[in-house]
Amino acid sequence: MKAVDVVTTALGNTMRSKARTFLTVIAIFIGAFTLTLTSGLGVGINSYIDRLVQGFGDQQQLYVQKTSSQQSGNANEPQAYDPEKGADKQGQFGMSLLSEKDIEQIGNIDGVESVEPVVAVSPSYLEGENGDQFQVQLGYPSDVNSYEYAAGEAPGHDKDEITIPTTWADSLGYDKPEDAVGGKVKIAVSNVTGEEKTFEATISGVTEIMLSNQGAQPTPSSAFNDRLYDYQQEGLPEGAQTDGYAMAVADVPDLGKQSEVKKSLTEDGMLGMTVEDQIGTIRGIINAVTWILNGFALIALLAAAFGIVNTLLMSVQERTREIGLMKALGMSPGKIFGLFSSEAVLIGLLGSVIGVGVGVVVGTVANALLTGEGGALSNVAGLSLYGIAPLQLVGIVLLIMLIAFIAGTLPAARAARKDPIEALRYE
Amino acid sequence: MEPAVLETENLVKVYGRGANRFDALKGLTLDIKRGESVAVIGKSGSGKSTLMHLMALLDRPSQGVVALNGRPVSELKNKEIHKLRNESFGFVFQQFFLNPNQTVLENVVLPLKIAGLSKRERNRRGLEALELLEMADKAKNKATDLSGGQKQRACIARALVTNPSVIFADEPTGNLDSKTSEVVENILFGLQRDRGITLVIVTHDDDLAAKCDRQIYLKDGLIVAPEQSNTARSEAASSGEPAPSGQEATEPWAGGGSTASRASELGKEGNR
Ligand SMILES: Nc1ncnc2c1ncn2[C@@H]1O[C@H](COP(=O)(O)OP(=O)(O)O)[C@@H](O)[C@H]1O
Ligand SMILES: [Mg+2]
Repeated sequence: MKAVDVVTTALGNTMRSKARTFLTVIAIFIGAFTLTLTSGLGVGINSYIDRLVQGFGDQQQLYVQKTSSQQSGNANEPQAYDPEKGADKQGQFGMSLLSEKDIEQIGNIDGVESVEPVVAVSPSYLEGENGDQFQVQLGYPSDVNSYEYAAGEAPGHDKDEITIPTTWADSLGYDKPEDAVGGKVKIAVSNVTGEEKTFEATISGVTEIMLSNQGAQPTPSSAFNDRLYDYQQEGLPEGAQTDGYAMAVADVPDLGKQSEVKKSLTEDGMLGMTVEDQIGTIRGIINAVTWILNGFALIALLAAAFGIVNTLLMSVQERTREIGLMKALGMSPGKIFGLFSSEAVLIGLLGSVIGVGVGVVVGTVANALLTGEGGALSNVAGLSLYGIAPLQLVGIVLLIMLIAFIAGTLPAARAARKDPIEALRYE
Repeated sequence: MEPAVLETENLVKVYGRGANRFDALKGLTLDIKRGESVAVIGKSGSGKSTLMHLMALLDRPSQGVVALNGRPVSELKNKEIHKLRNESFGFVFQQFFLNPNQTVLENVVLPLKIAGLSKRERNRRGLEALELLEMADKAKNKATDLSGGQKQRACIARALVTNPSVIFADEPTGNLDSKTSEVVENILFGLQRDRGITLVIVTHDDDLAAKCDRQIYLKDGLIVAPEQSNTARSEAASSGEPAPSGQEATEPWAGGGSTASRASELGKEGNR
């Protein structure tokens, strides 16, 4: 028997007892449908996170923080003061801060090209060429390379340059983002004694505001940022100049060296994380939840597989004569096996294609209803609860066909073993 | 003299073992020549079907040899045996084993489908076979729509469609009334005459056996002389022809009376 005849005969046979095939297909359908929804949920939420963190720094940047030097134990208990060590420098939230010495140490680690402490400048206002003044919070200079630019480019590392968001270009009196590039802004900063001074910078680029809010603030070059910071700290007594830094950004261009750098940092009581490290944790949780949900769908499929076994065993029993005749007429046991396992695979194909199809439609519609305008979750900007990954859908169909095939092997083997004489015996 | 198409030597078939051991065939040696028609005749349980299954390569003997065209089949691989059954043998059974969900034509071309022929070729040859049996107009009917005689003719078309050299028929008229039986018998003998097909007919109908070139009488798994095989026609059922051996024996199941009543008894026996 030719392969195409095996398949068409199998198709004819599955259509013979329609009610039974229908019920078996429904069981498969439920499994396929659930699996399509649960895995689509994972895809949707992961793509939401992707969009959320889009542009959060370069891959090559390592965000370094001081690990707390406090002994583990009750952090609320008073810590003994050690005059040798001095007090731990701590930030607002009880975080340990990086000292100048730490920064220097980071710079000396093999693989680190440059290191920049993240310093927070709090300007009084930003003034445009048209004389209008605005309250301003500056972005971190280390982020400029990951912004998307509507016009112009990132500020030069050591130039007095700054980027502004598209929304600011408008407020500063430029018609188009392109017009803003090359324009001047003044930033006013007060020093410790309250004396205010303005610094001028050139607009090097206009940034798009991303879903993650990246690019939503004017961002100076690191040199310009340092100038502002230096002035802000002016007047502090020597030695008390810096409290230390909450964070530093180390540039590690050779991605292969990142893990070594991280190890050195840990040895020195610091923690280095890439953006991927930070997102990885969230992703890990989402993937775990997705797989738990997928697990339920797989249990449904397991039950459906027994449905296939049952249906085909009944079918083999009913068609004993037919099998015997085919064998008597020279059909090999292998082809008989192929005939019945094709039936199983066809049932799997039918159930999974319908299940995946309906799952995609329901997932897409439910997502639109929940996160679209007027939906319960519409205020979460850019949220997607369902995503379509075509390869994954194909994978689901193939997986179910494989499960169906495995389920079909028992009945198919039983059919293949039938003795034609027994099967054709007159009762 | 024609060479033997089928030969057996000291054929033994044992079913079961130990206390359940049953010797169905106890050493049969026979040969069947090309183009001849042979009746295997004997009481129910005498081993007729067992012998046919062995000769048709549906089963393997416990001992002894079956040879096809002079070649022992034990030398053949399974694959060759499947091919042989498909191409060289045709089967007609007492029960029709037609697939009720398929058309007559689909049923008839099943052996060709198994052989892997294209659908066009299958249908061409299927219709040819149906035409030969004057059934072409029923080709598109469902198999269930046919009368008993038509069903058996469809089965013969199915046996014929591969152009086999041997047709095995196990009680081919067992389920048919006497008039239809005669039609079917004439078709079978016509095939032997016109196409040189070898016929091996298993039966306990003496009338049918008598129409064959040769009769092999079986009793308790052994070939016996006609007078020893309790299966000779009863006087009452005699249609005037002499019994093959001319000997007289009573049929245990025959209630006497007409050929028709005996045919119906036969049907019951076969259906039991
Ligand atoms: N698979 C089997 N197992 C055990 N006994 C069998 C089997 N097949 C046939 N027999 C026995 O072998 C004997 C011959 O059977 P069979 O060849 O079918 O007889 P016939 O066709 O002449 O009526 C019978 O007694 C039957 O019960
Ligand atoms: Mg029999």
